Amino acid sequence: MGTVHARSLDPLPMQGPDLGVHADDVEVIDVEPETKQEVLENKDVVVQRVHIDGLGRTKEDLLGYEIADVFTAKNLIDVMKKSHDAREKLLHLGIFRKVEVVIDTSEGEDALPNGLDVTFEVTELRRLTGSYNTMVGNNEGSMVLGLKLPNILGRAEKLTFQFSYGTKETSYGLSFFKPKPGHFDRNVSVNLYKVTGQFPWSSLRETDRGISTEFNFPIWKTNHTLKWEGVWRELGCLARTASFAVREESGHSLKSSLSHAMVIDTRNSAILPKKGILLKINQELAGYTGGDVSFLKEDFEIQLNRRLFWDSVLSASLWGGMLLPIGDKPTCIADRFYLGGPTSVRGFSMYSIGPQSEGDYLGGEAFWASGAHLYTPLPFRPGRGGFGDLFRMHFFLNAGNLCRLDYGEGPRSHLQKLAECIRWSYGAGIVLRLGNIARLELNYCVPMGVQSGDRICDGVQFGAGIRFL
Amino acid sequence: MSLAAEAFVSQIAASEPWPENATLYQPLRDNQILLSDCASSLAVQAYLRMCDLPLRVCCRANAEHMSPSGKVPFIHVGNQVVSELGPIIQFTKAKGHSLSDVLDDVQRAEMKAYMELMNNMLLTAELYIQWCDETTAAEITRPRYSSPYPWPLKHILAYQKQWEVRRKMSAVGWAEKTLEQVYEDVAQCCQALSQRLGTQMYFFNRQPTELDALVFGHLFTILTTQLTSNELSDKVKTYSNLLTFVHRIEQTYFEGLNQAGQSGAGPWAPPEV
Repeated sequence: MGTVHARSLDPLPMQGPDLGVHADDVEVIDVEPETKQEVLENKDVVVQRVHIDGLGRTKEDLLGYEIADVFTAKNLIDVMKKSHDAREKLLHLGIFRKVEVVIDTSEGEDALPNGLDVTFEVTELRRLTGSYNTMVGNNEGSMVLGLKLPNILGRAEKLTFQFSYGTKETSYGLSFFKPKPGHFDRNVSVNLYKVTGQFPWSSLRETDRGISTEFNFPIWKTNHTLKWEGVWRELGCLARTASFAVREESGHSLKSSLSHAMVIDTRNSAILPKKGILLKINQELAGYTGGDVSFLKEDFEIQLNRRLFWDSVLSASLWGGMLLPIGDKPTCIADRFYLGGPTSVRGFSMYSIGPQSEGDYLGGEAFWASGAHLYTPLPFRPGRGGFGDLFRMHFFLNAGNLCRLDYGEGPRSHLQKLAECIRWSYGAGIVLRLGNIARLELNYCVPMGVQSGDRICDGVQFGAGIRFL
Repeated sequence: MSLAAEAFVSQIAASEPWPENATLYQPLRDNQILLSDCASSLAVQAYLRMCDLPLRVCCRANAEHMSPSGKVPFIHVGNQVVSELGPIIQFTKAKGHSLSDVLDDVQRAEMKAYMELMNNMLLTAELYIQWCDETTAAEITRPRYSSPYPWPLKHILAYQKQWEVRRKMSAVGWAEKTLEQVYEDVAQCCQALSQRLGTQMYFFNRQPTELDALVFGHLFTILTTQLTSNELSDKVKTYSNLLTFVHRIEQTYFEGLNQAGQSGAGPWAPPEV
């Protein structure tokens, strides 16, 4: 731009002290004409070089795919957009703490007049990050140690280790994750774990020690997962008063299974989606790769969301599943399906629907559940634009049924069993979204169709979780 | 069991008569059950037959894990589950059946002392021979114990149990003993029993008591089980009055089913390797 001289708008005073300045001596202010700005938006450019600075242990061939697109940019706006996309992809790999993009004109002997150099300045994550927490739960305390080694071999592999040592139980998990260079969505992970769980609704305690290998890959718009899992399961009674049916399930078993899952998820958010659909189909075949548990398990989940007038959302979901034992051994209580509770058919106690023995719920081999919700903003919209947006009000209708498959009369009678004596409930409540991870609900429920043996929770029910019906 | 739990169980137990469908659970008879478990199970069966209480025997691979105390056998009576001979005796006493009511206090104390001797000496010796003697453990005990489970779970469970029993042996001070010393202890125990029995029919008067059931359970199992060597059964065979005692109880209380026992329909049969 041209230079600007300061100038005064008022004429110099004629009277007054003699400042030694005469009118004729004042400079004539001259404004230079505006220099012509180079308009680069529509000018063709060629990206000649792309550098990545700051690599330590990351191997260079890994990043070639992410930055390849930048070379195809034709004009400046395109270069900026493609560099931004490449930056997002580099951050998505999970191996860099910071990525900055610098675009400059080319220099050097072979520099073209319209050539550009793009430089990505990256800061790698540290080799080892750790975390240490203490947790206090139901009558127990524990310390949790977490270790993460990102990018250990230079190609975005990740090793995580978590160890929890508690007054009652110890559990741990070790996981190795490796993505395919250039296709982050195709990845392999190997996990080793020991987890313990206590299930008071069945008076059951379960300890699982297992190893699993899983492959994820996308095909067109769907995401597939193939997994092999080997688990040593140890079941025990949680209390001396456990029913004999649960006591008979105590002991050790080994499950070795292959499973496949397909997911199509077009929702805008997993927690309180406003639009989109979710379809998840999962099958598991156990017993053909070793172990002593043999079954075929199928389950599916469908969710549809649609935006209506005035910022309200209509949502419908359907879940279903079936467990078929192969051979003449009956199914194990740890493999069966359970129904009921604040995350499933509301108005009933946690997993307290279906076959039971002396108050312990044994689960079932076939089930279905469905829900219809209308989500609206809070009345009078308090705290709009801020905190109030995390809350939604919802009206719901839930229904479902669960049964065993041992009535010995063939599939028609099982379908009939699932269609009669349906448990259902309706009500309203408030939902709070916790980030993009979880959701809290406080509902007033009215359970209906209650069969003898079910345990209900009518009135106010509180629920927290990730996956809700 | 703690005192409060015992009192609770007696209160509940006393209210109901002994049902017809009382069941005893033990590990699988043909391939899984071990010497010590078979002896304990037979002792409980003998005791309940002596009390003239009906009992069914059910074999399950996970009987040890089903039991509330982790030890077999256990009985399922009504909706109560009671394991091990001591608590079972208490339980039947609460229901009004007892074999030691006719004894006076001195005799009862003596009976308890001999039962303690059996448990501390003979049962521990059986466990030692099964799990701490490497030949027996490798050839008989570990394969039998892990037979219902698939690979690799079988090896994990067998070694886990062996480690647990060896730890218990160290706790009671038997870890430093050699096999010969253990056989000597067994011989001494048998001598004490033989001397007490003398020429009587049963240990106390002419009526059997729980001590008779316990001795029968252990001696019969030792006599009829094949181990890697016959030394253990030879120690028992040197006392002829114990042999007649065992034979007599078998005749009196288990005779009717022995015929059916060969086809596997009987409730018990001696374990074979």
